[in-house]
Amino acid sequence: MEGIFQYAPAIAVLPFVSFLVALIAGEYLPKKGALAGILATGGSLTLSLVVLVAVVSGHTYNETLYTFVDASETFSLTFGLLIDPLSAAMLVIVSLIATLVHVFSLGYMNDEGEIGLPRYYAGLGLFTASMLAFVFSDNLLMAFIFFELVGLCSYLLIGFWFREDAPPSAAKKAFLVTRFGDYFFLIGVVAVLVTFGTAQFAGSEGFPALAEEALVAGETFHGLGAETWLSIIGLLVLGGVLGKSAQFPFHTWLPDAMEGPTPVSALIHAATMVAAGVYLVARMYGFYALLPTVLAIIAFIGGFTALFAATMGVVKDEIKQVLAYSTISQYGYIMLALGAGGYVAAFFHLTTHAVFKALLFLGAGSVIIAMHHNENMWDMGGLKDPMRVTYLTFLAGSLALAGIFPFSGFWSKDEVLFETLVHALGGSPLLLGAYVMGLGAVFLTGFYTIRMVMLTFHGEPRSDTAENPHGVRWNVKFPLSVLGVLAVVAGFLNPVPIQKLTGAQVDFLHAFLDSAPEATLTNAGHYSDLTAEYAGYGTGYIGGEVMTLLLGAGIALGLALVGAGSAFFLYRGAEPTAHTEKLGRVRTLLMHNYYQDEYQVWLAEGLTVRVARAADTFDQGVIDGLVNGASSVSLFAGDRLRRIQTGVVTNYAAFIALSLVILVALFAVLGGWI
Amino acid sequence: MLETVPVEYYLVLSAAVFCIGLFGILTRTNALTFLMSVELMLNAANINLVAFAFYWSNLTGQVFVLFTMSLAAAEVAIGIGIILVLNRNFDDVDVTEAATLKW
Repeated sequence: MEGIFQYAPAIAVLPFVSFLVALIAGEYLPKKGALAGILATGGSLTLSLVVLVAVVSGHTYNETLYTFVDASETFSLTFGLLIDPLSAAMLVIVSLIATLVHVFSLGYMNDEGEIGLPRYYAGLGLFTASMLAFVFSDNLLMAFIFFELVGLCSYLLIGFWFREDAPPSAAKKAFLVTRFGDYFFLIGVVAVLVTFGTAQFAGSEGFPALAEEALVAGETFHGLGAETWLSIIGLLVLGGVLGKSAQFPFHTWLPDAMEGPTPVSALIHAATMVAAGVYLVARMYGFYALLPTVLAIIAFIGGFTALFAATMGVVKDEIKQVLAYSTISQYGYIMLALGAGGYVAAFFHLTTHAVFKALLFLGAGSVIIAMHHNENMWDMGGLKDPMRVTYLTFLAGSLALAGIFPFSGFWSKDEVLFETLVHALGGSPLLLGAYVMGLGAVFLTGFYTIRMVMLTFHGEPRSDTAENPHGVRWNVKFPLSVLGVLAVVAGFLNPVPIQKLTGAQVDFLHAFLDSAPEATLTNAGHYSDLTAEYAGYGTGYIGGEVMTLLLGAGIALGLALVGAGSAFFLYRGAEPTAHTEKLGRVRTLLMHNYYQDEYQVWLAEGLTVRVARAADTFDQGVIDGLVNGASSVSLFAGDRLRRIQTGVVTNYAAFIALSLVILVALFAVLGGWI
Repeated sequence: MLETVPVEYYLVLSAAVFCIGLFGILTRTNALTFLMSVELMLNAANINLVAFAFYWSNLTGQVFVLFTMSLAAAEVAIGIGIILVLNRNFDDVDVTEAATLKW
């Protein structure tokens, strides 16, 4: 079984080959490269599943495969593979979503007669390949390289329709905003390499283990205490995470990224780009678990983003915009869980979110096909009968997103909130604030999700296209069905409440993530030891564990139901009224996304441009002035000195003779002959 | 004891020959005259060497002169070659005309 790990690099190489095939020969292939992509991602999925089976049976793999800078005296830069439960599970998620997105693209792109398809499929292939390579990276530098490639691919795909105005601009924005975060990440990578001499994630030689040793030994770095210095590194790396995972204040690129083709949005939101950020935190959780300050920051950013994004989702009129804000909000939950010490909960929510968000985006894509690329929900309505499969699967995804029992989102969101609450009660009261924000977001999520479903599928058709929707084929329905089933059942990967209530060992994901060998130091048990020891995350209950569990789940489910119910009540009927109009100025604020774009543009134009101008003046005037001055002095001197070079031998001889005479005279005077 | 010529006389002779050579270089423009003047200057040095060798009764100086003379012969061979080329390119052996390589 362990032999399979030798073929593990092929998981990322296969989509890369499909990228090359689509790029070089896509124009001549029957489906313009789609089939190569489906075959490659399907192969990756199969291989990932085999690897997952190998990992389930207790094997892990942590090998350096290629050293591209070999410096034995300081540190070497390497490529390698780390396959443990976390990365094996993530590989399956990414390759599954990528395969389904490829299939869906047949319906969304090929059947709609788009041009430039080889470019599209090449982008998808490279996107998938870089994300998969990022997932199995065994060190931070390799992770960074593929993290950047993921960013590049998202740029290429968001700007796919580059002849229109909005997509290239959105692509540039996504690229620049994430790059701003990645700038800090790069410094963080360098800091890790310089501090620890290694960037390996796992094992006793990995940097999380070395960080723990440094913390225990009370070492100082550059005059700072170990904890301060490590926190600085942690925050630097976190910059990249916030950018990629679209957390406040770097979330502004994500809603604009909706300009890309819808299958790309599904891929970005569910499995690749946005997931990369939180996955990185989970990957190096052994490091973050040591730093209570950074954990608290992560938890608060997460909780705040969850609530903040949800409020904006409430008023949006376009189906993909609602989904975009829900993505930001849901990744806020994952960050909240990571910050609150709920490592398993975070990965659980990442898994279920990947499934139901891919489903919702593909469902939205199906609706958009039917609506002839009109995305405004107020022009839809009544689509539930003509689009039976889309409606049912979309509903399953929506209920999962809203966190309604027993859909997958309920279990994972409940566990996220439960972990936060338990750790908040167990000696970290600060987390209560993040918990309350998370609860607020539950209510809003229920509201905007059901509002979206009601406006899109219920009531009477509100436009001609909605009355006569364009049909969709198997290549749209098949991915929807697969994801629809998963969205219902994925929650049973880790139904902690059932385990606590009945005592049955059904928390499979928890057991799986805990099954990594001790030597790798990446098992969930090790992480909870670390958070308990270094971050002081104890456990506290209100009237016993089961009682707390039921209370937390009851509150969360109750809020979700209230939100969903009120949306259902408000938007039921044949011709729903636009209730958000009544919000008045609050709605204006929300429609403008709290003026986040405006203030960021102001930062760029009002501040950065001015500083840049001043720096430019200084550069042109002072620095260039010095350089130009030096050159004009030598130019002038050279021009004068040139005149003694006459080319006439007699003059040279005269110079020599004259110099000799002067020299002799000098010696005579100085030597005291006279 | 045979009366010998004092060494100062040789030095004066040597200085005189050197100055004649230098004068030739500084005032003439003919390349052939140049070559001759250079020969004069070289031989002025040779006179010095021989004179001091005789004065100190040390043969090294005289042996050294032999080397200098062979060197001078080689120099003349090359010098004549250069003058030939000069003549071929400028139809003249005037050194002031061959100033076209300067910047």
